[in-house]
Amino acid sequence: MKISRLLLAVIVIGIFYSFFKIFFGIILKQPIPGSLFTMYMFFIIIGVLLVFSFTEQGAKELMSPIKDLLENPEKMMMRNVVFGIVTIFAGFITYQQVKPSFEAPLELRTIHPAPPSNISAYNKSYNLLTLENPFMKYKKEDPEKFKQLIYEGGEVYFKNCFYCHGDKLDGKGHYAHGFNPLPANFMDVGTIAQLQESYLFWRIATGGPGLPKEAAPWLSSMPVWQNFLSEEEIWKVILFLYDYTGYVPRSWEKH
Amino acid sequence: MKIKNSILVVLAILMVSSTAMAAQGDKENGKKIYEKRCVWCHSKDGTGNGPAAPFLNPPPRDFTSGMYKFKTTQFDEILPNDENIFRMIADGMPDSSMPGWKDILKEKEMWDLVAFIKTFAGLEGKPKKQIDFSKQVKSSKESIERGKKLFIDRCSECHGEEGRGDGGKKLKDDWEARTWPRNLSKPWSFRVNNDPKEIFARITAGIAGTQMPSFADPASKKKLSDEERWDVANYAASLADASKTIKEGSTVVKAKRVSGSLPEKADDPKWQEAEPTNFYLIPQIIAKERFFTPSNNSIRARAFYNDKEIAILLEWDDRTKSIPGDEKAAEVSLDGQVFEDGAAMQFPVTIPEEMEKPYFGMGDAAKPVNMWYWKSGTKDAPQAVKLLNATGFDKKEERNAAKAGLKAEGVYNKGTWRVVMKRPITTSEKDKDIQFVEGKFIPLAFAVWDGTNSEKGSKHTMTTWYWLFLKPEAGVYVYAMPVIVALLVLGGCILTARNSQKKG
Repeated sequence: MKISRLLLAVIVIGIFYSFFKIFFGIILKQPIPGSLFTMYMFFIIIGVLLVFSFTEQGAKELMSPIKDLLENPEKMMMRNVVFGIVTIFAGFITYQQVKPSFEAPLELRTIHPAPPSNISAYNKSYNLLTLENPFMKYKKEDPEKFKQLIYEGGEVYFKNCFYCHGDKLDGKGHYAHGFNPLPANFMDVGTIAQLQESYLFWRIATGGPGLPKEAAPWLSSMPVWQNFLSEEEIWKVILFLYDYTGYVPRSWEKH
Repeated sequence: MKIKNSILVVLAILMVSSTAMAAQGDKENGKKIYEKRCVWCHSKDGTGNGPAAPFLNPPPRDFTSGMYKFKTTQFDEILPNDENIFRMIADGMPDSSMPGWKDILKEKEMWDLVAFIKTFAGLEGKPKKQIDFSKQVKSSKESIERGKKLFIDRCSECHGEEGRGDGGKKLKDDWEARTWPRNLSKPWSFRVNNDPKEIFARITAGIAGTQMPSFADPASKKKLSDEERWDVANYAASLADASKTIKEGSTVVKAKRVSGSLPEKADDPKWQEAEPTNFYLIPQIIAKERFFTPSNNSIRARAFYNDKEIAILLEWDDRTKSIPGDEKAAEVSLDGQVFEDGAAMQFPVTIPEEMEKPYFGMGDAAKPVNMWYWKSGTKDAPQAVKLLNATGFDKKEERNAAKAGLKAEGVYNKGTWRVVMKRPITTSEKDKDIQFVEGKFIPLAFAVWDGTNSEKGSKHTMTTWYWLFLKPEAGVYVYAMPVIVALLVLGGCILTARNSQKKG
């Protein structure tokens, strides 16, 4: 059976469509944005129609099934059905376009904003570029003491932080579901594993209200921990976070 | 047939191997995992007095007691099945602080934990008396009807007439911690789940260490037959209320426009016509004084508006009606002290044009908030609503609610508060009151107080910012446009066909 030229054109367009969907959407997992996709498909359809109707004969052949449907008195029934479907489809598409949308606005915020070079907390000023965890030195000097400090950090964590950041430090504490934005997941490679201890000190001590504007401080439910914890407690809880997750804080390279 | 057989063989091997794993659970390895993961709540000695324990209700399990709440062995059998302990570790317990561990622990590791945890109470050997699930009565209208009668007679004393845990009894566990009867209309808050089989197990064996008794105990006056317990289980499962489901990503209270007057009363059936939106409530753990042990866990909101006014209905399940000065309320309260129940809504004074909102915790200096704060009243004073403006956690200014036209009225019925708050769309003090506008996303946050659970001032449950949206009536064009376009397309089709036929 000879495939009609029109069907062939539709099949070719279909192949392009599936290729884009499968290759970018499924294999690369980076689907093409809707508006861009519409534009690509527009050019592909134009191109395919141009190729298929390049010669006079070709153009006639391409159009012949449509012409037949429009003119053949025997296909009256079929014609009415096709017209009906096209009409309803057009109405439906228009409705989708004009109906009001009640989707809440998207709120984009920077999760790890650039830190300031100086912060103030505990009525003092800290230089984040040079600030170091005062307890880190015990890792080599006194491993027993270091272990004890980590345990004490764990106590701080489980009295103050785990309601949101979770038993597993995965950001899924038992009250996490009530917050938007969700609490940070420390097990994720994108959080504390990428940060310096001084950054954590800043985020803990000054909390949500201490964030710069691009990070939407009015949304963050992180408490201002300098109101609750001592400096030592914050440094201990930082030791605990790295110990439990197995990550190593970032540091300035020493030459 | 062959495939079926081989599946059966695989299943059999799996079952044998998992029981084998349980039997062989490596206590030493279990101890290592326990000391890294579990000590923070359950403590090193297994007594449940870890550093986090004072902040938790329900409290962490005391393993030295050997009592397990959610087991499938008989009431007079102290031993749980290993699978019961394994399940609690793997899946965790909803609406408590126990998470499921199966995402980070291997199955073998969890069996090792089971083996180690049992050593705290010296539990050994296999449990002998199992619950018999074989006579299950399938859920049906008749079974639920029979179950309902039994429930009202045997269970409503604690669980309330409609199962919202509002029986009005003060319950404690064996460790003197406050326990709350389950609210059966919220299946997502069940420690295991609301499968009738699980409910049947609780009714049959009771919940060890709590005041939930066994209804299979022949010595009990309240004893129920096997069939009766299935009926009650089917009824309890049927109480699940889908309209209280919290849908992920559902963040907008959509106010419906009406032409006539707005419903005045909280129990007006007209409210059913407004779309409900549910939100989780979490305790205020952000600013001083923090609060850790809430009794309420969700709230539902609906709204109507017309040209002049907006009315918002808040509904939340609260097991106790807290009336200070009332003797009965004092009996049920935590320590004899009763405060008023309450509910509040928070709006920005100025609807933000951009993304920037006031700080969710009572606003900030640059961006103040309005708060509508309803209180349930005391024995001597009727319920009332306050209008507050705030620019931070403790920076409140009380304003004249009547002058702004703010009204509120609440009704308590069978474990549910329903409160309507109403205000004109616009007010005279435009720089101090929010002026509602159609078709805009307006930030909205909630707070709820359970006065019987010592909730007062900063100790309450709350939400962060969500949205209120005054849904404009769809214009005629929303319906006219598709019809016009469809007719044009049809006309085009017919014309083309005509032309083509003439030419042909």
